[in-house]
Amino acid sequence: MPPQPPPSDVPPLTPRLSPSWRSLLADGQLVTTLVAGLGSPLNLVMPDQLLRNADAFVAVHRKFRLGGSVYFAHKANRSTALVRRIAASGVGVDVASTGELQHALGAGVPGARIMATGPKGDDFLWLSATAGAIVNADSADELDRLGRLVVEHRLPPVRVMVRMAGFSSVGFTVLTRPSRFGVGPAELDEALDVLDRRREQLVLHGLAFHLDTTALNEKALAVEGCLLAMEQCRARGHAPTAVDVGGGFGVAYLADPEQWHTYAHALTASVLGQQAPITWAGYGYGLKAERGAVRGTLGVYPSHRDKAGPGYLEALLESEGPGLRRPLATILLESLVDLHIEPGRALLDQVGVTLAAVREVRAGADGRLCVWLDANRHDVSAEEHGVLVDPLLLRADPLRVSEPVSAYLLGNLCLENDLITRRAVHLPSVPRPGDLPAFANTGGYFMDFAATDALMQPRAATVAVRSAGDGWRWCLDAEYWPEGGDR
Amino acid sequence: MRYESITDAIGGTPLVAIPPEVHGLVGIDLYAKLGMLNPFGSVKDRAAWNMARTRLDDARRDGAAVVELSSGNTAKALAVIAGMHGLPFRSVTNRMKVPEIKDLLLLLGAQIEELPGQTECLDPTDTEEPLTRMYRRLTEEHARFLHTDQYFNPLNRQAHEDATGPEIIADLDGRVPDYFIACVGTAGSSTGVATALRAHGSPQVWGVVADRSDFIPGIRTADELAEVGLFDPEAFDRIDSVTSQEAIDGMLVLNRRCGILAGPTAGAAYFAAVRALREVGPAIEAGDRRTAVFIVCDRVESYMSYVRQRRPEVLQRPARANDLSTLSDAELAGVHSLSVPEAAEWIEREHPVVIDLRGSFAFRALHLAGSVNIVDEVFGELAQGGVPVSPSQSVLLVCPVGEQSLRYAALLRRLGHRDARSLAGGVVAWRDAGRPMVSA
Repeated sequence: MPPQPPPSDVPPLTPRLSPSWRSLLADGQLVTTLVAGLGSPLNLVMPDQLLRNADAFVAVHRKFRLGGSVYFAHKANRSTALVRRIAASGVGVDVASTGELQHALGAGVPGARIMATGPKGDDFLWLSATAGAIVNADSADELDRLGRLVVEHRLPPVRVMVRMAGFSSVGFTVLTRPSRFGVGPAELDEALDVLDRRREQLVLHGLAFHLDTTALNEKALAVEGCLLAMEQCRARGHAPTAVDVGGGFGVAYLADPEQWHTYAHALTASVLGQQAPITWAGYGYGLKAERGAVRGTLGVYPSHRDKAGPGYLEALLESEGPGLRRPLATILLESLVDLHIEPGRALLDQVGVTLAAVREVRAGADGRLCVWLDANRHDVSAEEHGVLVDPLLLRADPLRVSEPVSAYLLGNLCLENDLITRRAVHLPSVPRPGDLPAFANTGGYFMDFAATDALMQPRAATVAVRSAGDGWRWCLDAEYWPEGGDR
Repeated sequence: MRYESITDAIGGTPLVAIPPEVHGLVGIDLYAKLGMLNPFGSVKDRAAWNMARTRLDDARRDGAAVVELSSGNTAKALAVIAGMHGLPFRSVTNRMKVPEIKDLLLLLGAQIEELPGQTECLDPTDTEEPLTRMYRRLTEEHARFLHTDQYFNPLNRQAHEDATGPEIIADLDGRVPDYFIACVGTAGSSTGVATALRAHGSPQVWGVVADRSDFIPGIRTADELAEVGLFDPEAFDRIDSVTSQEAIDGMLVLNRRCGILAGPTAGAAYFAAVRALREVGPAIEAGDRRTAVFIVCDRVESYMSYVRQRRPEVLQRPARANDLSTLSDAELAGVHSLSVPEAAEWIEREHPVVIDLRGSFAFRALHLAGSVNIVDEVFGELAQGGVPVSPSQSVLLVCPVGEQSLRYAALLRRLGHRDARSLAGGVVAWRDAGRPMVSA
């Protein structure tokens, strides 16, 4: 007999899910067949949604009359179908390794539409230069190595951007986390020295930054910092034309913002001991109780965000440069500076879903259900990235209903810490073996970013899906092509 | 009254009755305790002084800086107190939400540090979030900081227990009010006064918080209360939430009808007080009277941008005669717009004054040779008074994409200028056509 758990006392965190996914996941036969044939876990990607998201970013550029390009941050998902879909559009790709660059080139992305970022060995630099990609350089040394390779291999001049960091604030201190990447304003001269020496090999295309923060004011300071630094570049005879603000535009994961507030409230009460713990062993996600009050900061991704994706970019462009005191969009436009962006997560909003099969259900020590899934925490790594959202439950027998319950989701690795969620999730009914929890919106970073072969458990297969009027078409990720690759 | 130091003027603030025809409550006398009349402008003066005063000498000897996590009235009071005692003051904050307060703090010589935002790529193994790191920095052994720690410091509450509360009782001729209503921020004034009142009677104590995901200066939302060390749920008989719109409603009543120039925080307390007291009013027997007191935290003047953002109609000024928004389609259609080749040819032939309306930063980088930079805002301001260019001098207006220049050219025409033209497509089109530009 399966256990009869108490009704859920965990507030629900219902994921935002597009009508397309609703329609697809409602096709029980398709979903069951796919998992039966390809195994659990299984990743589904919807390449067409990626382009719709890119269009929304382009619309922001258009609204402010700005030039510049959208570069898809490849690192957020390694699906081939997605990169091939990008290849057949006007969107660029931001690659952060030789492997990603090869992948993009193989998918048919023209080299001129590729931006190479991150730590770069000579192989990465050489292939970028040969392909005609823009090299987004991290240091003066990297620029020099690139210049040398261009000479040695008699390559045409390479467009480069200089990634900057450590912008100083005006008026009052805006604190920013230290970054391991980029050159500080003081080191810019060093980079420009290299560019002066290497005028035959390197063309300064613009300046870049990527700050790991959600705060608009930090980013506004950085945009202005780049603009001011461009003046320095021009004074030395370079003609940069673009600012690259990186990514980090964010995604709203929840359907209802109110649920987020309710959940945060319950979590605080749980940490304070005012109610039964709603997390595994009372885990606090960064909060801790101290003499009846909560200290610490909730270390999770804000699953509800007022401004995310294109809306966040819009807000950034509408904010004022702290020193120049005009809206950033106005300054960029009137200074004839193009704006490049590198969204990853935000471009993948509603692009992917991960399915995992329930193998066993049992009662846990604290009375809540423990649901063992045939997937591990690296296959569905939302929790690892601090995103707290409940899965949907695709039931093998849709007619079987019960009260909502709460459950911990456990992974298939023989390790104590393989918890897919460290909190009890809210499920609409008692899960049974064979049911398929569906994790919504895993496309950006939660799908294959951290997937491992640990314990020789299989990795998820990825399937590309496409709406075809009367239903859904699918094919294996590697077999997807924008034209003629359909099943 | 004569004082040797401004800090001696802290406290002793008036208790003022709200006229019954304004609050409309039956059987209830409602009083406002005007914390806003403290010398630095808010109810926080008392707590700030109480938390800092005994440690100022040591701080001066050690060359320590006063530090507080505040973006509001506590920071303001501490900035003044620190300044008076020759100490630097540093305000650490997540976000300065009220620009006027930020300006005032800078004016008072405070240093403001804004903490970094949340990371976008979260690393759950990083337990070093900025707030924790800051607390650790403040408590390091040889750290030279006078950290007043208002959310956890019992001296915050004590200040109101010892003074604000007893003052209310004294002003009510020794009676304890039946109801006490206060906004909860650090919980210092609300729980401090409540403790004092309960020592002499049994008042109902009501806390006021901001509605979820709304913002009222100096007040927490219900969920944020758990982060306040001084907050004790037992101290409150009920807690009501108020939206920013309701707070502004309350504030306008205090401002316009009561002559109390209070800010939105007091507006929230007043609104919540009247709303809740309306429920108890009918239960009061005829002839019986009850007394209620709420705290007026600070003054309205610092919240103009807050009001402008949330209730712009209150501050709306009529459009000025020569605002761009007054231009008609016909006026815009009447402008002579020149394509890039036409403009180049006209410049060559007629030598018009080329006025570039872009920001000075952009102008400095690249502009049409021989042009003059008058930033759009300045140009618009000049145009309010008349044509800023001799009417017979032909003018070519230039902006980023030709939209603003069209509008300003139309405006010049309306004001009687004879030949003001606009560069179609602006400097973007000029650049795209490969025409030369120079830098300053």
